[in-house]
Amino acid sequence: MLLVPKQLRRAGMTGDVPYYGGRLSPAQAYAASHPARRPSPSPSASPRRPVPAPEADTLAALRHLLDAGVISEAEHRQLQARVTR
Amino acid sequence: MTGPVQVLVVGFERPAFSGEVMAEFTRLRDAGLVRLVDLLVVRRTADGAIETTAAPDDVDGDLGRLAAAVLGRPEGEADEGDGADDAPPDVPVWSLADAVPPGTAAAVALIEHVWAEPLMSAIRRAGGTPLDETWLAPADLAALDGAEEPR
Repeated sequence: MLLVPKQLRRAGMTGDVPYYGGRLSPAQAYAASHPARRPSPSPSASPRRPVPAPEADTLAALRHLLDAGVISEAEHRQLQARVTR
Repeated sequence: MTGPVQVLVVGFERPAFSGEVMAEFTRLRDAGLVRLVDLLVVRRTADGAIETTAAPDDVDGDLGRLAAAVLGRPEGEADEGDGADDAPPDVPVWSLADAVPPGTAAAVALIEHVWAEPLMSAIRRAGGTPLDETWLAPADLAALDGAEEPR
């Protein structure tokens, strides 16, 4: 029989404790979607280059985590949705 | 069901109902520790589809039915919305497709930890709130072993 897998919630033995299986913890996911501000370049720095939006950095980091197998496609979609909403 | 139920997914080159494994489950059940609720063998094709494998003739023909019903639905059957597809985005989810790589086979066991229910009840009565739980990685387990050695 061909089985279409369901998406099931992860839980721990003690209840609704998220089990992350070595992947992103809530703190890591928050950090991924809230990158630290970089120090501004000094006014004398030239020529002035366009600064990429923090969102672009985060999405690139998420893409790297997906490509490296750290997060699954589903987790990538969830985190991407957090960053872009 | 009284105790928490664990899903254990184990990859095999050739999935087999090993007598030794089943004997161990019998021993654990008789000791009142663990109950094998169901066991499902699946094969994931190279194109990603998941096929269930029929139980051998000498095994209960119903084997795998419960696990298949919880973990998936037959292709072509309507989605009854009993999974986590509508879960909020911050709720971690998983599926057999995440666990079983294409081109491999796996045994999926639903294991009830009968021993855990009294402990969980005692923790709740004591006002404990679950914050986190995980398993120790092998390196940390080795460190624990070292720390436990008599001085």
